[in-house]
Amino acid sequence: MHPQLRPQDIEVFTETICHYFLASTGEAAVIRSAYLLEQGGPILWNEFNGLIEVSGDYLGSICFSAPRALLSHVLLKSGESVFTDERHGDIVGEIANTLAGRARRHFGEGLGISTPQLLDYSITTFQPLAHSLPYAIPFLWHGYEANLVIHLETA
Amino acid sequence: MTTSTRPLNIMIVDDSTVIRNRISRLISNPQLPPIQISGLAGNGEIALLMAREKRPDLITMDLTMPNMDGEACIEAIAQFLPNAKILVVSALADKATALRAIMKGAHGFLHKPFTDKELIDSLCELID
Repeated sequence: MHPQLRPQDIEVFTETICHYFLASTGEAAVIRSAYLLEQGGPILWNEFNGLIEVSGDYLGSICFSAPRALLSHVLLKSGESVFTDERHGDIVGEIANTLAGRARRHFGEGLGISTPQLLDYSITTFQPLAHSLPYAIPFLWHGYEANLVIHLETA
Repeated sequence: MTTSTRPLNIMIVDDSTVIRNRISRLISNPQLPPIQISGLAGNGEIALLMAREKRPDLITMDLTMPNMDGEACIEAIAQFLPNAKILVVSALADKATALRAIMKGAHGFLHKPFTDKELIDSLCELID
């Protein structure tokens, strides 16, 4: 057991991001270098943030943070014609859930994942669930930047 | 003399509206036999009530959902609708989860994210 994430654990999440965007939209994401958030945050950067709480053999959270424009394009590629806040919140949560769920291929079913919570950047004070430092994985898709923040440690 | 075949009834269970809408659109693909939607549910609890009332032939089932998760819902539905074909459509990508879902009564497993073709192929296999 390892208390914090190893480079190969981070790589799993970069692979999940690549796979998600290619499979669901046909357009690849360009992953930038992952980095440690040495100040412990900020966890939330964008207008829409889908957070998955992690339990079981691991503790912490996985947060997908994206601007409205990126999500609008994903909705369009999914065949949606409704572009309300509710629909953007739905897709940001669904992407967070899918990225976390696919990581179980590597971490196993001991990576317990919750249903997505939507966090409002402007009003949310999020209490971290893990004590280690989080990693941010920034990436570009369709010209827009989004982030996946992995805050995990073994329970 | 002509024979008419009743369209299959499908219930789509997923906590994401976007996914429910996408599956709803794809079931009208000409590769599939006629399928009509008998219900849309956002969690296992609603799905269970709907399944008792509508008795669908096919079900697509997410696993991570509020109130009642997909595994519990599959297990309950399999008790009173043993002939319903259940396709799990979930992001949970570990083998143990897929095996458990099959043990509880699911007939197939499709990982999210899925392409249109993957969903149509999975439904074709389920119906065959």
